[in-house]
Amino acid sequence: MILEVEHLKKRFGNFVAVDDLSFSVQQGEVYGFLGQNGAGKSTTIRMLLSLISPTSGSIQLFGKSITEHREEILNQMGAVVEKPDLYKYLTGYENLSLFAKMSGKPISKETINNTLALVGLEKRCHDPVRVYSQGMKQRLGIAVALVHDPAFIILDEPTNGLDPQGIADIRNLILYLSKERKKTVLVSSHLLSEIEQVADSMLIINRGKKIVEGRVNELLNPNHVRLEITVDDDQKAKQLIENTSWSKGLKHAPDGKLIVETEAQAVGQLNKLLVENNINVTSLRSMNSLEAYFLSLTTGNEV
Amino acid sequence: MKFNTIVYLELYKIFRKPRTYIAFGAIAAIVGLIQLGFYADGKSYMQFGLQSFTDSFDINGNIMNGYLMAYIILQLMLVHVPLLIALVAGDMISGEAAQGTLRVLLTKPISRAKLIAGKFSATAIYTIALLIWMAIWALGISMIVFGVDDMLILKSDLVTQIVKTDILWRYAAAFGFAALAMTTVAAMSFFLSLFAENSIGPIMATMSIIIVFTILNTLDLPIFDTVKPFLFTSHMLGWKGFFDVQINENNEQIVGSIENLPAVMISGGILLLHIIGFLIASIVVFRKKDILS
Repeated sequence: MILEVEHLKKRFGNFVAVDDLSFSVQQGEVYGFLGQNGAGKSTTIRMLLSLISPTSGSIQLFGKSITEHREEILNQMGAVVEKPDLYKYLTGYENLSLFAKMSGKPISKETINNTLALVGLEKRCHDPVRVYSQGMKQRLGIAVALVHDPAFIILDEPTNGLDPQGIADIRNLILYLSKERKKTVLVSSHLLSEIEQVADSMLIINRGKKIVEGRVNELLNPNHVRLEITVDDDQKAKQLIENTSWSKGLKHAPDGKLIVETEAQAVGQLNKLLVENNINVTSLRSMNSLEAYFLSLTTGNEV
Repeated sequence: MKFNTIVYLELYKIFRKPRTYIAFGAIAAIVGLIQLGFYADGKSYMQFGLQSFTDSFDINGNIMNGYLMAYIILQLMLVHVPLLIALVAGDMISGEAAQGTLRVLLTKPISRAKLIAGKFSATAIYTIALLIWMAIWALGISMIVFGVDDMLILKSDLVTQIVKTDILWRYAAAFGFAALAMTTVAAMSFFLSLFAENSIGPIMATMSIIIVFTILNTLDLPIFDTVKPFLFTSHMLGWKGFFDVQINENNEQIVGSIENLPAVMISGGILLLHIIGFLIASIVVFRKKDILS
């Protein structure tokens, strides 16, 4: 096990940012850390990196306490925390070279060039960072995290502010690091779709507390869905569904939509039932139950 | 990670920042202007300054020489140099916090105490470099432009004459002392930069403290007498002590002498204690600081 967090708590005055959080990350996996903005992800990550001290609880990295073995542990870690802020008056190459020296390991020019090539910055590396786009800064930040060849990489919202191509590039990079370079990666995001595509395991937090943790393929079970149905006569549709086996998973949303939890293969049958009873189905949206739950957290609406 | 690598990298960052060169440019410009002014009107200025002595003494030679120029420049400049020091020292931590690089730095395997010590050492080296630059302009250029001779220092009720062969070591010591005084300012500004997330606050706070302490020093009120000896501003002009010479029974200067060496040493010691105090306080605060920037 690379990381083990137990009963972690961080309080700022009366505000509890992280509350009794426990989770663990296995070696070699991509671990998704999911939560809406302000959920406590970055605060947790800062504690993992010893940037801020926990109010209580423990953090073990590589089997050792981060508070007692900070430098030894950080030597094996690379991280991008929130925005990838770098020295704007230096070039990309100079920034990377400077942080490489700060890692305390002997790092050759060849390694620096290879790292720049890995993140696709080899052609613009001699431009000053002040002229970089957000995507280029993000990639340079990742290069800073990778240049000393760490075993465990933490990427905090790495796709923030990127265009679709940039997001895809980062996603591919994470998968490459995990599959080809055998790195352990913890990646945080406020978008379930991002985590879903790269992570083996994931943790969802809300208001600093753990909501759920587990393997992604188990949590995002494609066989169980939550349907959001919009019809022309919601009262008639509700009465109809109440007389079926779907009644247990039925909810009537305040906006007139019907929510039905069911097996994925039964979606067609439910649609057929409504249509055959002269109910006009104007939309039928299928969501995984976890996705629906996460959406309720991020939008504040009960679904 | 080796300590000297941290110092090297911090110096590299300092000297790659454009704002660093504001101080060097300002010193060159101000010293140049003073030299130009004295080159044009120096003789009449000196005649005015010496008019109360010329009735009793016959004063000959190159009075308005490079040594005197350096003394005048030091007197005028050292009051303003703290602002130039604070410009960089006040930015050392707060500037990194403002641009977000402090958290990137601290994800690297460097001890916080070592990082602070390294950053402070780089700040001290910058301060010394600035003083050397000032010495080159104030003394070196003045010696070339105005020539060298014995130095007359005008005080309110007396004139001190120092022979030209006994001056250069005094300037080396005076600039050394000035470097100590300015490093004290740097240490305070550095300490203040721990509590801010932009460099304006520490720079303003540094200058405010110096102004308040200087006012306390000049106020001749008994209530402040007990604190005055402990204020670092009371000792910042201790460099002048190197130009107070001892006189023998024939009223001649004793070459190589300093009138009140213990007072100069005490002032230097108090400044050094301030530097050590600010450095230790910086390390203690920074080790416990939550990095939220």
